[in-house]
Amino acid sequence: MAFGQVLVNWLLLGSLYAAVALGFSLVWGIMNIVNLAHGAFIVVGAYIAFWMYRQLHIDPYIGIPITMAALFIIGWIVQYVAINRVIRAPFLVTFLLTFGLDLLITDLVQQIFSSDLRSINTTYAGNGFDIGSIHIAFDGLTAAAIAVLLTAALSYFLSRTRTGNAILATGMDRDAARLMGINIGRTYALTFGIGAALAGAAGAMFAELYPFNPSAGGPFTLRAFVIVVLGGLGTPWGVIAGGLAFGFAETVIPLFPGIGSGYDDAIAFAVLVAVLVFRPNGLLGKAFYS
Amino acid sequence: MVTDLHQSAVASPTLEKTKERREWLRSLLIGLVILAAIATIPAYGDPSLLHTWTLIVMYIVLAQSWNFIGGYTGYAAFGNVAFFGIGSYSVGLLVLVGLPFWVGLIVGGIVAGIFALLIGLPVLRLRGHYFAIATLGTAEALREFIAVKDIGGGGGGLMSLPLPSLDAYPFLFYAFVGLSVVCLLITVVLVHSKFGYALIAIRENEQAAEALGIYTYWYKVGAFVLSAVPTALAGGLYAYWATGFDPGTVFDRGISIEMVLLTFLGGTGTILGPIIGGILFETASFQFQTSGLNLHNTLLGLSIVLVTIVLPQGLIRLFQEFTRRSTPGLTLANRFMEGLRRVRRYITANGI
Repeated sequence: MAFGQVLVNWLLLGSLYAAVALGFSLVWGIMNIVNLAHGAFIVVGAYIAFWMYRQLHIDPYIGIPITMAALFIIGWIVQYVAINRVIRAPFLVTFLLTFGLDLLITDLVQQIFSSDLRSINTTYAGNGFDIGSIHIAFDGLTAAAIAVLLTAALSYFLSRTRTGNAILATGMDRDAARLMGINIGRTYALTFGIGAALAGAAGAMFAELYPFNPSAGGPFTLRAFVIVVLGGLGTPWGVIAGGLAFGFAETVIPLFPGIGSGYDDAIAFAVLVAVLVFRPNGLLGKAFYS
Repeated sequence: MVTDLHQSAVASPTLEKTKERREWLRSLLIGLVILAAIATIPAYGDPSLLHTWTLIVMYIVLAQSWNFIGGYTGYAAFGNVAFFGIGSYSVGLLVLVGLPFWVGLIVGGIVAGIFALLIGLPVLRLRGHYFAIATLGTAEALREFIAVKDIGGGGGGLMSLPLPSLDAYPFLFYAFVGLSVVCLLITVVLVHSKFGYALIAIRENEQAAEALGIYTYWYKVGAFVLSAVPTALAGGLYAYWATGFDPGTVFDRGISIEMVLLTFLGGTGTILGPIIGGILFETASFQFQTSGLNLHNTLLGLSIVLVTIVLPQGLIRLFQEFTRRSTPGLTLANRFMEGLRRVRRYITANGI
């Protein structure tokens, strides 16, 4: 494959990965919760986009606000009803709880939509333009643009708005934030809702680009984790760096002779261990919000 | 670090010591009685009952061995199914080349132990979420590797073994029960050995343990290997019992999570927790399955959600909290109400 094409594929995949990990990073950074149901939220987003396309003929990209709103409500409820109750428990408890939610949501999706492989075939799928020998697909480019846009929006929201500042403050010091009059329970629910909404957006983009089934969520969670570790648990922009770094590993490693495709999880895992051993604070070397 | 709440019930040290001594003896006896009762099941001659309880005891063994690393050491290993799969594939491969079943079982245990050592060396330097995800990733990567390389030869890693003879089923059942008894004994010995004390110290405060001169790293690796070997033996027995399996079944992350849930339900870091949790959850789960509902993962997920929210300390600790001695001179009714109050306080201790 030509060098330029690999480069383009890498950039598009990398930014899509950033969208996958954005909400995960926010929830982890603010609440110290590794949300294993993140992949399940992405799958729910994908199915909402699929359903809207099938039944209401809404384009997945146009429908992203609706998908995000739906996931926001789901995320808010999950946090308010379940996770807020164990937020002070040892991490193992929250970790296990989100795993339980993951199983529950995935199974419910499977009951509703069956485990068939689904895909959305828009009329413009595969269309694009060529620069020399490099092909750039419109849908991939749009997804990358939306991913960057979402990152910028999240960054702006956190640093420039009052609510965003409240979220950051809660992440820095829960008790001090409470003393400043911030309602912790509601802030957490809001944070988790935003995290789920971002997962929903990623799901809609994924549904547009690739076929999926209910069990597609697990690999996303693992990837989101690796991406966040790569980028460092810092700002939303760290997620873009992590997404690009991980996209690079996934695009380039299979090109080496003797490896071939099919080892996605193994690559993710190898990257994870390598980063944790050599750069525990991520590539940008900033150890978060905290 | 995993448990701060458990220390709430500390009485005077000497009293505590004799009480503790009686307590582990009682736990051991109760455990043996329960397992002995389970061991009478083949006498009923009902094959479907035997089938169900073979799996239940298997899950008990898995939970018991997870308890070593997850319960006592406090390291949230979420990929122990890797060892289960290693055990299964060892038995499968060696039976297919014509070696007796038990050779595969032993080889599986050894291979899993070595694998746990090798993977534990880098991974046990990590903590908390990082350790959990790294173990999860190991299992997923191993599953993928076996599927892609098609180890087993039936396409996608599928492996088919010759059916064992009919009288092998009670034998395998007893083997699982025996394995569970061994795990129970290991747990009891562990709780009163220097090794076990070191593990508990690591769980409570790793830095303090290190400051006291415990080589925490090697103790953790030891606990990881200790939890890997029985898991692999259970996997080997399962392979012979199930005859056909693929990476999706013996490397199913649901199995990893079920070990954790069962231990949690009974009580992490307790002698009886995995046994009680295993019996309660698995009988309920199989009840659902036989009633024709294909809702295993929904049930599993829902149970996890409920257990983590309502019973993060497990049934055993809840029971202890309920029966703990209160102010003398209370009537039975008052003591009951006091117990209920304590239970309620215990349940709502972790929220915002």
